Amino acid sequence: MIHAGSPRLSRRIGEAAFLAFCWAATGLAIVALAAILWSLVSQGVAGLDANVFTKSTPAPGSEGGLANAIVGSLMMCVVAMVGAVIVGVLAGTWLSEYARDSRYGKVVRFLNDVLLSAPSILVGLFVYEIFVAPLKGFSGLAGSVALGLIAAPVITRTTEDVLRLQPVSLREASVALGAPVWRTILAVIWKSAQGGMLTGALLAFARISGETAPLLFTALNNQFFSLDLTKPTANLPVVIFNYALSAYDDWRRLAWAGALLIAATVLTVTVAARMLAREPRRS
Amino acid sequence: MTTVAEAGGAPRAARGAALDRLFEALCFGAATLLLTALGGLVVSLAIGGWPAFERFGLSFFTSATWDPVQEIYGAAGAVTGTLVTATLALLFALPLAFGIAIFLVELCPPMLRRPIGTAVELLAGIPSIVYGMWGLFVFAPWFAKHVQMPIMMSAKPGTLWETITTGVPNGAGILSASIILAIMILPFIAATMRELLLTIPAQVRESAYGLGSTTFEVIRNVSIPYVRTGAIGAVMLGLGRALGETMAVTFIIGNAHGFPTSIFASGSTIASTIANEFAEATGEAHTSSLIALGLVLFLITFAVLALARLLIGRQAHA
Amino acid sequence: MNVQLESPPETAILELPSETVKLAVKNLNFFYGQKQALFDVNVGFAANAVTALIGPSGCGKSTLLRTLNRIYSLYPGQKATGQVLLDGEDVLGSRVDVASLRARVGMVFQKPTPFPMSIFDNVAYGVRLYEKLSKADLAARVEDSLRRAALWDEVKDKLRESGLSLSGGQQQRLCVARGIAVRPEVLLLDEPASALDPISTARLEETIAELKRDYTIVIVTHNMGQAARLSDHTGFMYLGKLVEFGETEQVFTNPVTTRARDYITGRFG
Repeated sequence: MIHAGSPRLSRRIGEAAFLAFCWAATGLAIVALAAILWSLVSQGVAGLDANVFTKSTPAPGSEGGLANAIVGSLMMCVVAMVGAVIVGVLAGTWLSEYARDSRYGKVVRFLNDVLLSAPSILVGLFVYEIFVAPLKGFSGLAGSVALGLIAAPVITRTTEDVLRLQPVSLREASVALGAPVWRTILAVIWKSAQGGMLTGALLAFARISGETAPLLFTALNNQFFSLDLTKPTANLPVVIFNYALSAYDDWRRLAWAGALLIAATVLTVTVAARMLAREPRRS
Repeated sequence: MTTVAEAGGAPRAARGAALDRLFEALCFGAATLLLTALGGLVVSLAIGGWPAFERFGLSFFTSATWDPVQEIYGAAGAVTGTLVTATLALLFALPLAFGIAIFLVELCPPMLRRPIGTAVELLAGIPSIVYGMWGLFVFAPWFAKHVQMPIMMSAKPGTLWETITTGVPNGAGILSASIILAIMILPFIAATMRELLLTIPAQVRESAYGLGSTTFEVIRNVSIPYVRTGAIGAVMLGLGRALGETMAVTFIIGNAHGFPTSIFASGSTIASTIANEFAEATGEAHTSSLIALGLVLFLITFAVLALARLLIGRQAHA
Repeated sequence: MNVQLESPPETAILELPSETVKLAVKNLNFFYGQKQALFDVNVGFAANAVTALIGPSGCGKSTLLRTLNRIYSLYPGQKATGQVLLDGEDVLGSRVDVASLRARVGMVFQKPTPFPMSIFDNVAYGVRLYEKLSKADLAARVEDSLRRAALWDEVKDKLRESGLSLSGGQQQRLCVARGIAVRPEVLLLDEPASALDPISTARLEETIAELKRDYTIVIVTHNMGQAARLSDHTGFMYLGKLVEFGETEQVFTNPVTTRARDYITGRFG
């Protein structure tokens, strides 16, 4: 036996070191989270005033806010989510209800997983190639397409997962009453799975609302307030990127305020989604 | 007595069947759209990058020259930067993630399980750009003062250690980027690992404890072998994320072209190069080279992700 | 002569007078992909009577039930050959509209399957698919169905609450109410009491006994006592074949085939 020499002592030391390491690793993660949150709050709150929500991005040295970027981000995310929810829910439904074991279903499932984890900047390049370059112009709509392409696989995946959890007997019970399959899916299966599907949509929203890379060369940016998604559109992530790396203190202050806004949004939505997922089913 | 075929009226039945087919077609169409999107992504990158491959040939992959003025582009520097930062990040994150997963499954007092689990999820939820800002403005100065300077001061001149630790002590560079990346992928690996550990049947662990094993021995002799395949998959998934991560790296890697010369030197990754230059790319050769870089990144991450899915899938069915 | 020396028959199927038969199964074979699950089943289910199907697990009794409303056709790999005649018309034919067939042949499953909607909407779900009733008529239909399922008194004050809020036994009677609300002619029950406690089971059995007056009922059950109490006819199945079918009293007290005798005496003795 390896432990023949002094089994007790070496085992106890090994165990203690191991447990200490696990505690330390967890502690380190929490310290990192705390440090990031602290920086965000301490730096971000300073720049957070009414101007942030009412004025558009300023020229260096003049007073301004992030109103145009906030509105632009919201518009693009909403458009992206509408498209992604439609495509994702239908595609997830197809994978779960129609193509459980088919070969084509397996291919789609695998490629959806690839798309799910593909670098988001490549999605930006793709949308640039098929959308921006041919139309000769950056636009908020192109940004929405890029964000939608990132959100759709997330929704597809979660939709398939929660639909698969619905008992077969529920489907059969509805069909046995003479309901057509589409009606069964809409009125019974989706309804039964709506909590999980909402969680998926919220997580997708959280993911795209902080995405920067795919917007850099699709939506680009716009210094002025605009509701026109066919033109370059201001958005929080790209404004933060540009302002953070600028040499002007008030721009940097705005960047921190924007980062705080984004992080607060994303984290709130994430926590809400998780709580929704944990909530026990009414029964 | 109505017949079965007529009951409810034939038109009605026909309409029901037609709607069934329509709905299935819609779902099929949506699934196919996703498939087409990925296909289109690859094809568009290949088409967009083709001029660069054609113009530079093999030297696109072997040369680290990236010169927009003379219009000579080689991917080797960015590819190396990508691989080095991702690998280093994985080396840092892996043991920590494993420790966190084990903590959450085996050691954590039940009262703390929810809050700590949520904290790890939040770490995963923080947007990349926030990591970037924090890395550049908070982490880098601290790192320069408390890690970089002491190490560089103490390195003996002429040694290998001195060579790989030279650089400008401003806190940005390859190693800093790797550390930020490690923090970013840590929660993903930890969460997947935790899921895997939870798949181990309670009896298996309990019988090992029942034989008088310590926690460490149970983990080493029972848990790790049990989840090995899936755990490798989880690691690959983390690696995939690190390879394609853009904004955080762009902030802190220093954005210098060419081969990185030391762990403190500035460098670039594929993603950071694209992020920095694409919108302002001048001329077809530049644009095309950047898209070609994107294709290379896609192929690398695709290989890693495919392997990851394969391994995780196998574990789930085991 | 000693009749005891004569070996008992392999199968013993009572043929019912054709005018009493609502649903007739002829030469039915059933396949799960390559695997054959039913072998040449021939049986008649009498109108306004309860027929029980018994037999060990995996004998094909649930499969037989699932061919009667073609619920199996949800799954591409499953197919049936032969005939199932509902009032003389073959429901296995390809031109049959399965949705309207299922409206005529209702089914209640092993586990309660309330839909994620209110009690009222659960019962109205099937009705709304096929009939455009006025609000009052719909409410009357829902009340009637719940009364027949012996659930009305327990839920009449909370029709708007979720069907999931009921107890297991109540949920199962809700499913019965939902099944009869579409006014089917035949009601198929697949081990409807297997997930219920004894008191709920007793109430459900009362309900079934009541429903016999208006419906043709086929019930699959593991519970011998339940089959004996409820049914007029009993079929015993074994390894995908219908081995014995006859009057319930005869099958339970004096089974003709060895298989049925071994199973029934084994279960009781």
